[in-house]
Amino acid sequence: MSSSPGRMKRFVNGDGLPALLMVLPALCLFAVFFIWPFARGFWLSLNKWDGFSQPVFVGLANYARLTSDPLFLKALGNNLIFVAAILVLKNALGLGLAMLLDRAVIGRAFFRGAVFVPVTMSFVAAGLLWSWIYNPVFGLLNAFLDSAGLSFLKQRWLGDASIALYAVIAVDVWKWLGFHAVIYLAGLQALPSELYDAAEMDGAGPFRRFLHITLPLMLPVIFINTILGLSGAFVRNFDIVYVLTQGGPNHATEVVMTLMMKRAFQDGAMGYASAMGYALFLIVGLLSVGLLALMRRTRLDV
Amino acid sequence: MARGISPTRRVVGALSTYAILLLVVAQTIYPLLWVLFGSLKSKSEMLNNIWGPPLSIHLENYTQAWKTAGMASRITNSVVVTACALALVVLIATPCAYAITRLRFPGRNALLALIVASMLVPPQVMTIPLFTVASDLGLINSRLGVALIYAAAIMPLSVFILRGFLLTLPVELEDAARMDGASRLNVLLLIMLPLIRPGIALVTIFAFIEIWNDFFLAFLLLRDPAVQTIPLGLVSFFQQYDSLWNLYFAALMITTLPVIILFTLMQRQFVAGLTAGAVKA
Repeated sequence: MSSSPGRMKRFVNGDGLPALLMVLPALCLFAVFFIWPFARGFWLSLNKWDGFSQPVFVGLANYARLTSDPLFLKALGNNLIFVAAILVLKNALGLGLAMLLDRAVIGRAFFRGAVFVPVTMSFVAAGLLWSWIYNPVFGLLNAFLDSAGLSFLKQRWLGDASIALYAVIAVDVWKWLGFHAVIYLAGLQALPSELYDAAEMDGAGPFRRFLHITLPLMLPVIFINTILGLSGAFVRNFDIVYVLTQGGPNHATEVVMTLMMKRAFQDGAMGYASAMGYALFLIVGLLSVGLLALMRRTRLDV
Repeated sequence: MARGISPTRRVVGALSTYAILLLVVAQTIYPLLWVLFGSLKSKSEMLNNIWGPPLSIHLENYTQAWKTAGMASRITNSVVVTACALALVVLIATPCAYAITRLRFPGRNALLALIVASMLVPPQVMTIPLFTVASDLGLINSRLGVALIYAAAIMPLSVFILRGFLLTLPVELEDAARMDGASRLNVLLLIMLPLIRPGIALVTIFAFIEIWNDFFLAFLLLRDPAVQTIPLGLVSFFQQYDSLWNLYFAALMITTLPVIILFTLMQRQFVAGLTAGAVKA
């Protein structure tokens, strides 16, 4: 550092000192609880470590092991199904619900508030509520199917390996639908109504108006909703899976986060578990960058 | 408005809109009503009368759930952790956002880039190292320690939101005050702070919902039942007494209702803040 007296003086007389004082607390907190663990986790992922004894450096062996670990690949596969399903469902149903809210001029605030209520619940509360709804013996869902004369549709919702993952996904969509609907509603309300009037004059039906006006104009909002949801869809599923199924039955609902916690705290494979976290980060990062690039290109085309 | 469509079709359209909306609202609200009803029923009524409202009100479910689930200490823990974390976020993020937006200092752009980049790193991917760092610092089972980690995790987004609010304010305001000899700190406290109150409110509401409802970090770091927060308490209550449905529903109501009421009271500000952030971006 060249600390000539003139430079030092400028620093003190200018904004340097107050800026330092204002930024320093945030920087300290951030360095200790964000940057340090981030760097340390990468180092851990290159080691074999049980959490107690001396770590042993193994290079990329943990990452190599990931690619041939059937359980990790299964969890990653489930994770991808989870992400794809909730992104599609939240966007499609969120936009649909927003269009209904947009048309409901009377009582809109009530309906908007009512669909938003699950968003304010914790994952734990939502998960526990739904574990009762899904309960095969006393649950609301099977009772409802019985009284609707649809008893043949009754299931062990969380106990059947072929449908448990979708039952978990449904809870996540239920919890977040209102959030996306509210954002889409704001987007819809910003659209110019003249376009719709003109299209109606030209005899375009509701479906064509949706396809040629609403959808193209809403594309930026759809992208924002997807970007906002993407990394969360990958990593914010531990609570709900843990509460509903703990990853079972027979790993049918195992996702990377739940497997990572089991490896770290049940098997003491801290290095390997760290590698799982970073592999997930890499996948999320690449997808986000890809999506952002796509977003930029599409905007140019529009 | 268009002339081509007959009034009957218009009415049918409106009716079907409301019919579908009522269905949607039924599936969001009825499960909660079901919990409310269940929390007031006796255990035998839970099995005989699954759907409807309680025939007789059993308020003692609430007192019993309060005791059995150790609700008092869980609520205290949640309040302590959330209040500390919110205070830290507001006290630390606000000056940082102000410095990044308005002050000139070396490294400013690098700092902004670091904050934006860290918003792309979900803290969950560094769960394991976060645990070892907290363990080295003696912060396992520490409520203040967890609050520090919550504050750090939510810091980048908070600084970013506050910067957005600061950017909309005219610079002339502070220039005038600076001419009159006010220090940077005085400008921040006396001029900027009152003007970015909506931004601080938005950050606080988001952080509150996030931290108050969090299970994962608390599960990772608060191992001792004496320091555990509400979500952890709910899960362990459920795992221990999974046949006491009515008590469990009462516990769920005690913890969920305050947040729902808070949201209902602040709905307008909340939705305005949410959509302003998302649609402008």
